[in-house]
Amino acid sequence: MNIADGVQVVSFAVLALMMLGAALGVVLLNNIVYSAFLLGLVFISISGLYILLNAGFVAAAQVLIYVGAVNVLILFGIMLVNKRQPFAPVRSAWLSKVATAVVCLGIFALLGTMVLATPWQLSTEAIAGDGALVKIGLHFFSDFLLPFELASVLLLMALIGAIVLARREYLPDELEEETVLTLPERPRELTSSGSRSNP
Amino acid sequence: MDFATLAAQLNAGTILPEGIVITTLLVVLVGDLIVGRSSNRWTPYVAIAGLLGAIVALYYQWDLSDPISFLGSFNSDALSIVFRGIIALSAAVTVLMSIRYVEQSGTSLAEFIVILMTATVGGMFLAGADELVTIYVALETLSISSYLLTGYMKRDPRSNEAALKYLLIGAASSAIFLYGVSLLYGLSGGETRLSVITTNIAANNVDQSIGVVIALVFVIAGIAFKIAAVPFHQWTPDVYEGSPTPVVAFLSVGSKAAGFVLAVRLLVSAFPLVSEQWHFVLTALALLSMILGNVVALAQTSMKRLLAYSSIGQAGFVMIGLIIGTEAGYASMIFYLLVYLFMNLGGFACVILFSLRTGTDEISEYSGLYQKDPLLTLALSICLLSLGGIPPLAGFFGKLYLFWAGWQAGAYWLVLVGLMTSVVSIYYYIRVVKMMVVKEADEMSESVKNYPASDWNLEGMRPLQVSLIVTLVATSLAGILSNPLFALANGSVEKTPLLQSSLNTAQTALVDQSVATSSTPAPL
Repeated sequence: MNIADGVQVVSFAVLALMMLGAALGVVLLNNIVYSAFLLGLVFISISGLYILLNAGFVAAAQVLIYVGAVNVLILFGIMLVNKRQPFAPVRSAWLSKVATAVVCLGIFALLGTMVLATPWQLSTEAIAGDGALVKIGLHFFSDFLLPFELASVLLLMALIGAIVLARREYLPDELEEETVLTLPERPRELTSSGSRSNP
Repeated sequence: MDFATLAAQLNAGTILPEGIVITTLLVVLVGDLIVGRSSNRWTPYVAIAGLLGAIVALYYQWDLSDPISFLGSFNSDALSIVFRGIIALSAAVTVLMSIRYVEQSGTSLAEFIVILMTATVGGMFLAGADELVTIYVALETLSISSYLLTGYMKRDPRSNEAALKYLLIGAASSAIFLYGVSLLYGLSGGETRLSVITTNIAANNVDQSIGVVIALVFVIAGIAFKIAAVPFHQWTPDVYEGSPTPVVAFLSVGSKAAGFVLAVRLLVSAFPLVSEQWHFVLTALALLSMILGNVVALAQTSMKRLLAYSSIGQAGFVMIGLIIGTEAGYASMIFYLLVYLFMNLGGFACVILFSLRTGTDEISEYSGLYQKDPLLTLALSICLLSLGGIPPLAGFFGKLYLFWAGWQAGAYWLVLVGLMTSVVSIYYYIRVVKMMVVKEADEMSESVKNYPASDWNLEGMRPLQVSLIVTLVATSLAGILSNPLFALANGSVEKTPLLQSSLNTAQTALVDQSVATSSTPAPL
């Protein structure tokens, strides 16, 4: 084993341990802010694995999108809500935890067996390495043109939808036709004030 | 590869219908931005014109000689054309019935139409997608716009709850689907085109691997969520109850049709190696959907929940056609979906009209409606009876064809369970009809007593009336004059190379089997 292989093995071990530990922390810790930060650590470790696999572009995209956008958004969400609500301890909660652990381990065992038992066909082509960006671009404008363009429609609609959900609505004045037609959709203010009376 | 040859290879004319819908969507969006709130008077009609234009464009693609386009990403065969037509038509009818509803709820109409049309575009691309990446992007376009539509009435907590539930369960199921698809990609040695995946899997000697079965199970989980088959149905009642009724109408027809065409294309073309397994799984799903959907519907008190469970049961019926996999099976499935489009949308148009006039969806509030609004009573009765399968309405012929095809193919248990659960379904449909028709004047519910006089001249009520009448006429006549629909369904199966080749291999397998059994000497 030369020194390059050694470095690879060691960094793989470090990244894998970091990822598993952080992922366990995301699930097991009670404080949601810690979980969110540890999630960022999971994403960074995954991007490290991509670098080990010679996929620099994917690693950069992983950091940019997941750490830079998704995770920051999650943190914003948590901090904007800023609601400390003590949860009443559920009786025999350990039972559901044990059941979850059993199911997760079962799925892990199944998938692990599948991965080990399958004779995967490894590609014989040379690794693209830094040329991957050019290849991805070529694919985007040849055989993946349709999904690429469709994604632009998807993003446009997501933008519109986000604005629709986020913008402040004014309550329209009582319409004249209100007496003629009604809907079960109630303004939120009315329902919440009505339901507060019965705790 | 230079630009000119690339442009010729793309064969982009096949997505003209989707192009029309996207252009209309942009016209509605930009028009609303420029003109402002007064654009509500014309945007819905532009949208409907665009959707109908897309259907006309689909009609001219029926005899396309070269349906494969975008270097294998999109396959505009006859199967996809029928399903794209179903999706576009259901969106057009949904726009008709949503105008008054959205106005009344105080939300803006143009954005609603834009998101609805994006969902339509996603569904239409899904119907023809022939490659894993396109399938996933189209599926997400459809799903994300559905989540947005579900939560569109954002001042109503029920709508928020429905959107959140739909989003969480939908995101989980789409992640599982993506995992299954990625397994397919790996097993086939890095291939995303559906037509090549199977040959690659066989060539790579991984066809005996447990990985194919796991991929199959995960993919079925994603598809079953879209078509709301038991046990992936838990979201359906809550989402149907909470979201705006026109959205429910689209989800129960357009989104479901997209799920079915995805099931046909993915299962038939990518999983022939495990065909026994997927038939087994789908049979279980169909049996559970028929039984649970129809039995739980008996206990519902809300009309929207009743229709939710009924749609679960109907999905079970439609799956019979997919499972038996004969020519008649596929054709009956398409025929039933065409008929289901009209009767279910008609039912939802009636529910929308009733809730606009009385503000409630409770079944008990419908009692005595006959005395106040005969037209609504007639339309709702016809649509519900057709859903139950009472002759001579369209639903009866749809079910007859499905069950006949199933019996021919030897799926006796499926057909028997289907027959029994249809009898159960007739009970709860007729309960609503009885509630409306039979009650005396003194048994009228409060909301029917205060029922406003029918005024069709209010803004946005005409389109609702039009959608009501169109679906009513289609539901009552499609059964008797069903020949064009039969021809359409049969023709689409005949002209689809994918289904024909799967039918041929099934036939040769059968012949091989019979030859093998006859040539083996009987043990003495």
